[in-house]
Parts: sequence; structure tokens; C-alpha cells
Amino acid sequence: MEKLYIICVDDQREVLSTIAKDLSVFENDLTIEECESAAEAEELIDEIDSEGNFVAMIISDHVMPGKSGVEFLSDVNKDDRFPNTQKILLTGLATHQDTIAAINSASINQYLEKPWNKEELIKSVKKLLTQFILKTGLDYQKYPTLTDQETLFEILKKHG
Amino acid sequence: MRKSLNLLISIGIPLLILILPQSVFPFENFTIIEQRVVAIFFLAALFWVLEPIPIYATSVLIIVLELIMLTESSFILFQDNGNTEHFGIYLSYKEIMGTFASPIIMLFLGGFFLAMSATKYRLDQNLARVLLKPFGKNPKMVMLGLMSITAIFSMFMSNTATTAMMLSILTPVLAVFTPNDKGKVAFALAIPVAANIGGIGTPIGTPPNAIALKYLIGEDLITFSQWMGFGIPFVIILLLFAWVLLAVLFPIETKEINLDIKGKFLKSQKAIIVYITFSITILLWLTDFIHGMNSYVVALIPVAVFSALSIINKEDLKKLSWDVLWLVSGGIALGIALEKSGLALTAVESIPFENFPPLLIVVAASVLSLTMANFMSNTATANLLLPIIAALGTSLSSLDDIGGNKMLILAVTFAASMGMALPISTPPNALAHATGLIQTNQMTKVGLIVGLSGVLLTYLMLYIMNLINFF
Repeated sequence: MEKLYIICVDDQREVLSTIAKDLSVFENDLTIEECESAAEAEELIDEIDSEGNFVAMIISDHVMPGKSGVEFLSDVNKDDRFPNTQKILLTGLATHQDTIAAINSASINQYLEKPWNKEELIKSVKKLLTQFILKTGLDYQKYPTLTDQETLFEILKKHG
Repeated sequence: MRKSLNLLISIGIPLLILILPQSVFPFENFTIIEQRVVAIFFLAALFWVLEPIPIYATSVLIIVLELIMLTESSFILFQDNGNTEHFGIYLSYKEIMGTFASPIIMLFLGGFFLAMSATKYRLDQNLARVLLKPFGKNPKMVMLGLMSITAIFSMFMSNTATTAMMLSILTPVLAVFTPNDKGKVAFALAIPVAANIGGIGTPIGTPPNAIALKYLIGEDLITFSQWMGFGIPFVIILLLFAWVLLAVLFPIETKEINLDIKGKFLKSQKAIIVYITFSITILLWLTDFIHGMNSYVVALIPVAVFSALSIINKEDLKKLSWDVLWLVSGGIALGIALEKSGLALTAVESIPFENFPPLLIVVAASVLSLTMANFMSNTATANLLLPIIAALGTSLSSLDDIGGNKMLILAVTFAASMGMALPISTPPNALAHATGLIQTNQMTKVGLIVGLSGVLLTYLMLYIMNLINFF
């Protein structure tokens, strides 16, 4: 069976490990990867995809050396290998212009501000994972820990 | 305003036919059922030409109207009350409903599964990348490469999907052309032309071919491999002709073209299963004379394999082109009504076709098909013409010397795929026209020349097939 991945991108090591720790509740059913730059993340998602596995979600910081988070997410958004990948921008330093670009060209699914609230992060991630699973056509019954009941009902009642 | 007028005409004329007294019709022993079939046929023709509703909806409408008006389970007011002299015979409602799952539809379903899995696991993109490499950087050769690949893909995938994919590969390349370079037009036209031509190569390449198979039964049977035996050479010759034509009409000034398609072949377990299943299915299609399974049965193998292994999951299932399947079903249902009610034969026999030279009949039928296909959907053209053509072909003994029913059906079917002179002729044309690179008159010029040459080439092909006693 294919594996699901969440990719976390942030240039600060300690931030990365905090996010990973916060999301460890999901770790039984998916793999959480930590990348310190957009370039590293690009290489990783390329590899995950070529093995036939799924990049379910990318949680990215914006201000990083090299490619910015919004630029990276915009590229992912254009890439037809990742049509359903959910994108979260997790940042404290995005300007008004960056935010506009994040919505218009990266089509991010969620914008979270640093410092974040752990419960809120988990809730958002769960909601978006549910959407990823249903959009990709995976069997949601196989991933009870990753799916959010409310979102599940919301989508299923419309599309069966 | 125009729309409501279209609707009024499309409904008004069939209604008028329905309420006319039977004696008006110039046929002997004309039955009520036959009269209703005439009305439904006119409704179908008008709806498919004027398109007051989508063409697949017209197909569904045909099926439902046939069920309500022609079957043993029809609406009470349409049933035989015993007072009418010439009522005719009911059609079987099971047979009409069965058109939704006729072998032709299953053949297409199998084709859809193959195409969808190829796209999902990027086999199409990766094959395009590998196959284009040997054509180098010379623009003319690249154009030939693009056309060949488009033609090959459209033999197995929908012509529309192939065109969309190839145009998306082409768009970034055309952006570097100088604004006045006519080569742009050549490239933008090459794709839809190749897609339209390529569809002829296999029975599943384009819906008209599959509809033709419906009428090629009994001693007229043509197998998948036989079809490819004459279809592929035809495609190659016409494709080369179109290539030369485009290069001459729209000279390319750019000296070098770099096609950069990214990606690598997926090596995951599922991707490998897709490669293997794809190859085996095509192999089975080509070797039906060895293993005994006909192409319809073979088509369901990928459906089972891909479903069982979740390669096509239920979300993908929702994205199948059900509209194309329904469009074809409606055509088959129309054919059944024309045939089983006896109308097709009655109509054909009412005109003394025996007195016409057989060659004239072939030319007239194919030119009619070509003309209709230019203005309406190729599939709808085949839906309307083939039932009548098949009745004509089987009843006319004067055709026997030049190939009989089989030859006539092939002539009309090939001609239906040659309708490509206008943006509305086929979906590939519409897509290419939407790029904004081609003017309608340029498309018409190329489409007419290629279309007419294609029909002439069809005659040559049929002549040769007759010489070698294929028919």
C-alpha cells in the first residue's frame, strides 16, 4: 500500500522539531519528514512521488534562505504530479504582498501564524488530511486516525 | 432567441411527423411503430445538428423516447389497442436498455481504463518524452515526431485527451517563435490533424469506428487486428501527406526547437502493473485469432485488473467520460430501432438504388458522411448514417463486386473521421483553435485538403482490399 507523507519545511531546526513533535499523534499512519530548505523539500517530494507514494501535505515557513515558502508552494501548486497535496503556510513574517501571492498563485489551503497553537495545528492538519484522502480516492476507512469526522460527513453527504 | 428557435424546430418537426396520418408516408405497409421511429430519427438528427441540448443528452433522450414509445412496456397511450391495422412489432425494452452496456460500450470502457491509468501513472508523458528524442531539434522533424506520437496515442486514448496533452507540451515551445513565423500555425494545426487521423488506426481510436463494428457482424466481421492491418498503413500515409502539406503551406523559419519534457518513468509496483497490463491488453487485441477472446472480452481485462488493484479507484471512476459512452449508446439504440422496426429496410427499398451505379452510391454516401461530420460530431454522424448505410449495404447486391456491405460501411466510417475543416468539427480542432494561434480559414484550408485526400485515400485502400479479396 502507498505511504502518506507530511513534509515540514523551515530553516530553523528547533521549529521543525516542534512541529514534528506536535504532529506525532499522526505518526502511526503516515511519515513526517523535516526539511531545512525548499531545495531539500523539492528533492524529497520528487523521490516520494517516483516511488509511487503520496505527498499528502506540505507545511512550509515563508522566509527562508534560497527559495521562499510561497515560491516553493506556488511551484508545487503548478506541478501536476501533486494535484491534491494540501498546502499550509506557517509563518510569522509574511508581508501583505506575500499573503496575496500565497493565496493567488500557491492556492494554499490554510494560513497559520507563528507562534501557533498545538490544538489548532492538529485540527487543521486533520481537516486537510481528510480532504486529501477523499480527493485522491483513498479508502478513508483505512485511516481513522487521520480523518476528521465533521469534514468527512461534510464531503460525503455532497459526493457520496 | 436563436436557442429557443433551435429548440422549437428540433421538437416541432418530429412532433409534426408523429401526428401526420400514415397515408402521407410514401411507403407500403407503413406501421405506426415505423412512423414513431421516423419521428425519433428526425428528432435525433435535428438535436445533434442544432444542439439545443448537449449531444450526449440527446442520446439519452432517444433511448428514453424509444422505451416510452416503441417497446412492449411503453406508455399506455402508445400501446397497441387492437384497433389499428398496421401497428407493427414492439421493440424489446431490455434490448434498448442493454445498449448502455453493449459490447461496443465495454470496448470503449476498456479503452478508457487503459487511457486513464496511462495518464495517472504518467506513461503517456514519459512515452512522449522518450519517443520524441530521436526526432532531434530540426523543427520539421520535431513536427513529424509530434504528429506521429499524437497519432499513436489517439489510437488508444481519446483524441481530445491526446490533443490536450500534446498542446500543453507544445505551448512553451511555441512561445519562443518569432511573432511572424508561420511555423506556429503549422505546429498548432499538426496536433489536431494528427489526432483526428490517428483515431482511425484502431477500433477503439474513435467512437465512429466502434459504431461501425456494431454493423460489421456475421460474415462482415472485422477483428481488432484486421482493422489495424488496414487502419495503420492508412494513418501513416495520410499523416505523412498532412506533414508535407503543413510544412509547405506554413514554412517554419525557426532553425532549432528544444522540446523539454520533464519526468522519468515511475517504477512503483502499481506503475509497473500498469505498463504490463497495457502491453498485454494490446497484445491480446492483436492476437485474437490465437486465444479466441474477441476484442470486447479482452477490453474488460484491464477494467478488472485496475479495479482490483486500486489503480483506478472510485474517485477516478467518477471521472470517466460517461458522456461519450452515452453518446454511443444512444446511437446504437437508434440503430436498433431503425433495424428492428423494419424502417431502415423499408426506406432503403423505397428508393431504387439498384439502378444507380454502385460506385456512385459509395461516393455519395462517403461525401455525405464527410460533409455531416464537418458540421456536427463525428460520432453523431456515424450514429445517424451507419444504421441506414448498413441496411443499404446488405440489401444491395450490386455492391458485391466492389466489396459489399463491409466496404460501404468502412467508406462511410473513415469519411466520418475526415470531418475536420472547422473548429466545431471535432474537439481536437476546438482545442487547437482555442490556442489563438490558428485562424479559422487556415484550419479550413488544411482540414478540407486533408479530409478530401483522406476520402480519396480510403477509396484507394478499399480498392486494394477488394483486389486482395479481403471482402
